[in-house]
Amino acid sequence: MMDTVRSGMARAGGWESLAAQRDARRARTNALLMGAFGAVGLATVLLVLALVAIITYHGAPTLSWEFLTQPPREGMSAGGVGPMIFGSVLLMLGAFLMATPLGVFGGVCLAEYGERSRLMRLMHASVAALAGTPPIVYGLFGLAIFVLKFHFGVSLLAGWCTLTLFCVPSIVLITESALKTVPAALTDGGLALGLSRWQTLWRIALPYALPGILTGVILSLGRAVGEATPVLFTASVYYSTAETTLSWETLRQPVANLPYYLAEGYRQPGVVPERLIWGACLTLILLTLLLNAGAILVRYRMRRRYL
Amino acid sequence: MWRIRLFDTLVQAATWAAGGLLLLTIVAVFYYLFTESHYAFQRHFPFGFRVALQPPDSEYRDEVSMDPTASLLATHREGTDELDDAEDITRLPAPEELMAMQSLVTATVQTSDPNQLRADALFRDCMRAPKRAEQGERFLLLAFALPNYAGDRMVLAWEPDVSFDPAYCPYALTLRLIRAPQGVQIDPIEIDLRRQPKGHIELPLWKARTQDEWLQGYLFELEARPTTSTTMATLQQFLRSDWAPTILYARFGMLPLLLATLLITLLSVALATPLGIAAAVYLSEQASPRIREWFKPILEILASIPTVVLGYFGVMLIAPALQRMFGEALQLSSGRGLLATALIMTVFILPTVISLSEDALRAVPNSLREGAEALGLTLAERVRLVLLPAAKSGLIAVALLATARVMGETMIVWILSGGTPTMPDFSSPVAALGTLVKPTRGIPDTIAIEMGNVEFESPHYGHLFLLGLVLFVLTLGINLLGFAYRKRAQVSL
Repeated sequence: MMDTVRSGMARAGGWESLAAQRDARRARTNALLMGAFGAVGLATVLLVLALVAIITYHGAPTLSWEFLTQPPREGMSAGGVGPMIFGSVLLMLGAFLMATPLGVFGGVCLAEYGERSRLMRLMHASVAALAGTPPIVYGLFGLAIFVLKFHFGVSLLAGWCTLTLFCVPSIVLITESALKTVPAALTDGGLALGLSRWQTLWRIALPYALPGILTGVILSLGRAVGEATPVLFTASVYYSTAETTLSWETLRQPVANLPYYLAEGYRQPGVVPERLIWGACLTLILLTLLLNAGAILVRYRMRRRYL
Repeated sequence: MWRIRLFDTLVQAATWAAGGLLLLTIVAVFYYLFTESHYAFQRHFPFGFRVALQPPDSEYRDEVSMDPTASLLATHREGTDELDDAEDITRLPAPEELMAMQSLVTATVQTSDPNQLRADALFRDCMRAPKRAEQGERFLLLAFALPNYAGDRMVLAWEPDVSFDPAYCPYALTLRLIRAPQGVQIDPIEIDLRRQPKGHIELPLWKARTQDEWLQGYLFELEARPTTSTTMATLQQFLRSDWAPTILYARFGMLPLLLATLLITLLSVALATPLGIAAAVYLSEQASPRIREWFKPILEILASIPTVVLGYFGVMLIAPALQRMFGEALQLSSGRGLLATALIMTVFILPTVISLSEDALRAVPNSLREGAEALGLTLAERVRLVLLPAAKSGLIAVALLATARVMGETMIVWILSGGTPTMPDFSSPVAALGTLVKPTRGIPDTIAIEMGNVEFESPHYGHLFLLGLVLFVLTLGINLLGFAYRKRAQVSL
């Protein structure tokens, strides 16, 4: 009964009801699709939370002051990961000190002279390509040039140089794009007041772009500290019970670091107990989270200052 | 005034110095990857054959290497480099010279009773350093029956040494009779060992009654002659399908590694890109600013989780699940393999894809959104008809960037791939499933694993650099393409 009525309406020029039906279908499709999209987004968030939760669940019991400061004992089956944390931080700090000036000035160079000559365009493209070059390739390069050619040996120094190379391209790109966001009104104002080109850059453009640059630098360091591959052949040592002291000798010696400790930990099952591995996983995540939190903090504080 | 000028000069100098150093680095990376790979071309191509003289009914006819009387003629890294003056490859040595020769091997047959076989022939094995084969190498083989042999026929049998595949040898390998004993009528024998790596021929019986007569026996030569240059041979073998650099007869075929890396990349990018774009659409079009403000840092955290930790995750969660699913049917010892790697790779790249896709979508001008809304399109229609086409270049750039990142990611593959180089096989559904869940090995993890215990500046080291070069060139191409798309996205918007 209802069906005949409906089809009758449709035949009697019921284009409005047809349109209504179509609109209902469109609304359904819309709800379905957008719901699915939202679900994917939600799933990603849940994934992060689950990852962090599982690692915390397994790793938290291991975490203690002793674990964070003591060297491994009894053939790596007991003790802590003190030297590894120390080495990771050392590697990161050195890379930070070397990569930041190089990367920032490289970015300035691209922003100031970019797009003008063919050479600079080529450089821009190569830096972009280098930023996406796999860390293992940097590891190979560091091995060939720093470890073997320059006779640094497998050492902290070679690790610093390799990590620096690994970080610089992304810092360059970040600086360049942060400098591009500086409003022309500001720089023009500076020039109009009689500042030279470089004073404008130093006093006006760089401070404005600083939050963006710093965030980028911290994030790329966070990536570097969790990445085992560039230092795999250039600076890493697996088994270290050495006292964590600093001297000029440290520069020429290999350092233990967390990612390499973890990687070798899985590769040689049974040597390092699972408990310690989970603990080291959590420590490494905490280290990168700390850096991330720093980046977010910098961004918010700086933003507030300039708005 | 001079202070301003000095300051200007300093900043400018620093900028130029940094720019120059960058250029230098770029050139140096290229240069060193190329120069270090030249060690690959100093490789040798070892070969080896087992030869035995047997009674006609020998039980070792098909497994010459099991025959206790078999001799080994081989060039490989355990061979000696010593030569002696009498070894002039171009002429036939006189019988009295033979005894002094390092490359002489004897093949004897003593008895047809397998229980009485003795392995005490005069010159058993000959192993030479592989270097000499590049100019041509010759082994001499003296074949005769001992006086106590009771049979009336004898057979010369040969086969390649264990793990040696003649197809991997760029030499023409010939087994040739160069002198028959006096009074024996026999047709010339010349066997192409690459075409017939395993076989046997019957010889007319010839007994040596005294020690002096040994030297009058059948004299064969196994000759190796290069057919192409070392460089060509190295390149040809680099494109083959066997990667076994540490065995005696080393093989450096990178095809399984390359295919595994490409498959892992393809799978995870095919998974991560649609998911990532979907989440990015939600973030940029639907989510409230508050949600977005929370979302971005969470994505950054996921993006910053170290890959070693993600890999461990795969080992603890995904691999065991895969093993429970397919373990019994396919006899898996662990769930590590291509699929587990690709899944974790997806988790690794997803946050980056979402974050960058969102940037690309947000770069679409609002006028387009508003126009589409004014036409009465629903959100899904606006996304499909307006937003995605407008953001196309940017999204392609994101996918390319993800491809390059996944292709070079090392630790996840190292931990999760299982570590066995395997050629992918899609000939049947079962084989395809096996390819997905069985252990494999990619290019980056091969470099990472093997560089740890390789001798520096050896051919193996060079091959690892060649692998790095392949990876570098692949990612370079993808990155440059992505760079071009990114530029286009900026220009067109």
